[in-house]
Amino acid sequence: MFTAVLVALVIGGLIIFLVQRRRNQVLKTEDGWWGPGAPPGAEEDITVRSFKVTTSDEELEDLYRRIDQTRPVSSLEDSQFHYGFNSHYLQRVVSYWRNDFDWRRQVDKLNQYPHFKTSIEGIDVHYVHVKPKRVPEGTSAIPLIMVHGWPGSFYEFYGLIPLLTEPSDPGDLVFEVVCPSIPGYGFSEAPRKKGFDSVCAARIFHKLMKRLGFQQFYAHGGDWGWLVTTNMAQLEPKTVKGLHVNFAPPSKPGLQMVLSIMLGRRFPKLFGFTDMDVERLYPCMEKLVVESIKESGYMHIQATKPDTAGRGLNDSPVGLAAYILEKFSTWTDHDFRNLDDGGLTRKFSLDDLLTNVMIYWTSGCIISSMRFYKENFGKGLDAPHAKIPVYVPTGFACFPNELMHTPKLWVKQKYRNLVSFSPMQRGGHFAAMEEPQLMAEDIQKFTKTVEKKMKQ
Amino acid sequence: MKYTDVFVEMVHGVGILFAGHFTCEGLIDDLVYQDLHERIDRTRFSDPLEDSGFQYGFNSTYLKKVVSYWRNTFDWKQQVAVLNKYPHFKTKIEGLDVHFIHVRPKHRGDQRVLPLMMVHGWPGSFYEFYKILPLLTQNHDGVSFEVVIPSIPGYGFSEAPHKKGFNSLAAARIFLTLMERLGFSQFYLQGGDWGSLITTNMAQMRPDRVKGLHLNMCMSTRGFKVLLSMMIGPYLPFLVGFSREDVRRLFPFFEKNVWEMLKESGYLHIQATKPDTAGRGLNDSPVGLAAYLLEKFSTWTHKRNRDLEDGGLERKFSLDDLLTNVMIYWTTGSIISSMRFYKENLGSNPNDRIDARTGIFVPTGLAAFPQELLHCPRSWAQIRYRNIVSYTFMPQGGHFPALEEPRLLAADVIQFAKKVEEL
Repeated sequence: MFTAVLVALVIGGLIIFLVQRRRNQVLKTEDGWWGPGAPPGAEEDITVRSFKVTTSDEELEDLYRRIDQTRPVSSLEDSQFHYGFNSHYLQRVVSYWRNDFDWRRQVDKLNQYPHFKTSIEGIDVHYVHVKPKRVPEGTSAIPLIMVHGWPGSFYEFYGLIPLLTEPSDPGDLVFEVVCPSIPGYGFSEAPRKKGFDSVCAARIFHKLMKRLGFQQFYAHGGDWGWLVTTNMAQLEPKTVKGLHVNFAPPSKPGLQMVLSIMLGRRFPKLFGFTDMDVERLYPCMEKLVVESIKESGYMHIQATKPDTAGRGLNDSPVGLAAYILEKFSTWTDHDFRNLDDGGLTRKFSLDDLLTNVMIYWTSGCIISSMRFYKENFGKGLDAPHAKIPVYVPTGFACFPNELMHTPKLWVKQKYRNLVSFSPMQRGGHFAAMEEPQLMAEDIQKFTKTVEKKMKQ
Repeated sequence: MKYTDVFVEMVHGVGILFAGHFTCEGLIDDLVYQDLHERIDRTRFSDPLEDSGFQYGFNSTYLKKVVSYWRNTFDWKQQVAVLNKYPHFKTKIEGLDVHFIHVRPKHRGDQRVLPLMMVHGWPGSFYEFYKILPLLTQNHDGVSFEVVIPSIPGYGFSEAPHKKGFNSLAAARIFLTLMERLGFSQFYLQGGDWGSLITTNMAQMRPDRVKGLHLNMCMSTRGFKVLLSMMIGPYLPFLVGFSREDVRRLFPFFEKNVWEMLKESGYLHIQATKPDTAGRGLNDSPVGLAAYLLEKFSTWTHKRNRDLEDGGLERKFSLDDLLTNVMIYWTTGSIISSMRFYKENLGSNPNDRIDARTGIFVPTGLAAFPQELLHCPRSWAQIRYRNIVSYTFMPQGGHFPALEEPRLLAADVIQFAKKVEEL
């Protein structure tokens, strides 16, 4: 049997080598128009406008009225978080939200960094732009774009930004950070037309960075941000100096990946599997297939019926909170499903969690945020960008509780210029928010490595 | 009156002693009305993508029209009167209040009156059967039905289970107890959606009581025979027991069955894993609830409805009927418990459960509607349903035939029952 596999390997490898000659292929794209109706004949408005997050008494009154009119339903006895967000704990979170959470104070916190909006391809794109206060002599700040995912927002990076723009260690690099909101999320306008996928977002963010005067920059992303920044690296490899991601699920299982799954348990060294890799991948059926099915219901409905799925959530703040915060519980550690309180406040503060929910609530963007799933998955997993590798220097931060574990071998399948692969000590899917210190350290390490290589 | 009739009357009388009479009057509380209207008025609508029909789910522009009708024209008091035209009851079984309606045909005379239980599914309710009820309680050449229509625990006016594990086997057991309590020693069953699984379970548990089982939806098993017929079917259908109509409905297989299923099963996936999260917002937002439920009445009635701006919703149903069904979910706050049924049944591998490996030997009748979600040919159904007495290719209709095509469904149920009675 082993010889048969070996022979198949050799023949397969040959075929693949002969057929796949896509070296240095660049992702192609065309301009789009996402505003209502047809694009106007006039020149596009390229001004950058200052923006401040605001709130009002009406907004708060409306929120509180809706919270007060929630119709609670008890969870089943002894079910913890296995059926979704536990209703008893939800009541506690909502009580905090209604009585203790200070949205005006959080709005001030949001406004501590300068916000802007600018119109690109017909929609207003929101972003936070933080310039460092002090830059060491003889150097310049390194531009970095950080892209969030779902159900997150630019706010996820608020703990990370100061560590990058004002590092305490004098040996560290100083960054100039841009955190946009993906169109359809938070304060960025939602596209009016079908077809706005990650490549469109990538193209728009390239235009944004150009408009801000950056010829070259680094990119960081997790969740959807991983895909958008990867697309940016595929669209303009010369512009993206380095790509740092903490999430990299393989879109197409290649031969290497399949073989490694089949034989990796027995022969880990053959595939460069560490002990952690083996522990997180096997038993493969349970850890890869069953776990995925258990946790991907939201993805399935959002990728097919986003308008239906989000409709009720835009009227019910409690429903919205349950839907979003369930992810902050389960995706931080799967074991949190066994806890009555979902372990939510073990790694996050309720203030931070609810601020993120308020961004979705006040902007009413839950439906448009869900549509991104349909636009990206709707036609299957065979998009052009899935077939093109990434040659830009890449750094991968491997957090132990990430949703999908990707060993080095799998990451390298797509990211051919993997400069750093760091197994992190702790952290899950929302790593930037959960472990900003660890994330900052890895971004520093990665960027220093790339900068050094460039100087050589 | 004949002796048997007296006996039946006595038993029914006793049954009612245990069952409490129940009317839907509590629902017309003005506060309920006011609360509903306030919530509707506070809906935060958003626009659909240009030119997207129902492809992204319920179209928001059309939703506004439906909601406007709901807010201004729909008369819930009138609909409650409609609901109350049949007698409702509640009775406590295994710790839960089980709701049901019980309708007897008007004139007994020489007719043979066949007891029949009809079980609804999701996102339906007992109300789905209100159009077919009068057709079944009429006299058809000496045969008519006495109909019992329960609400599955966790749906509508039936109390929701408080403990984990309430699956279709538990529902089947409860409904068998109900029929026993009402004094029926033998009866017919009819079901679609979850009702199909529950009635099948009932027939598996007590084949001595179930005279006949009629289904408008049947889940096909997997296995080698099915796989083989999938591969050979398009080319040599008669070899694997496929008729031309089967071939027309099944193939191209990947597109019609796998791809379509993936497109339409998002709700199933999230409800089978995170029901409490999925339903949470819907219990506060009537418009959200309406969109969620009515999307199914659109898409599952005919797949082409996805391309229409109005989802073709009013082509086969009246807004009054659709909204009455939504109101049943809304006024009882049962959306979350209704979703939990998915997790209880699908949470662990359903193919490993004992009922998936057990055959059904009671006389079975299958009505195959052309727009049903998944077509199940007779040859596949025969793998488990070993005593198929009638299999009918229905000319039109989708997933909710009792409401959409009551005449067609009634005709098939009647011809099936007649066949069984002659056996």
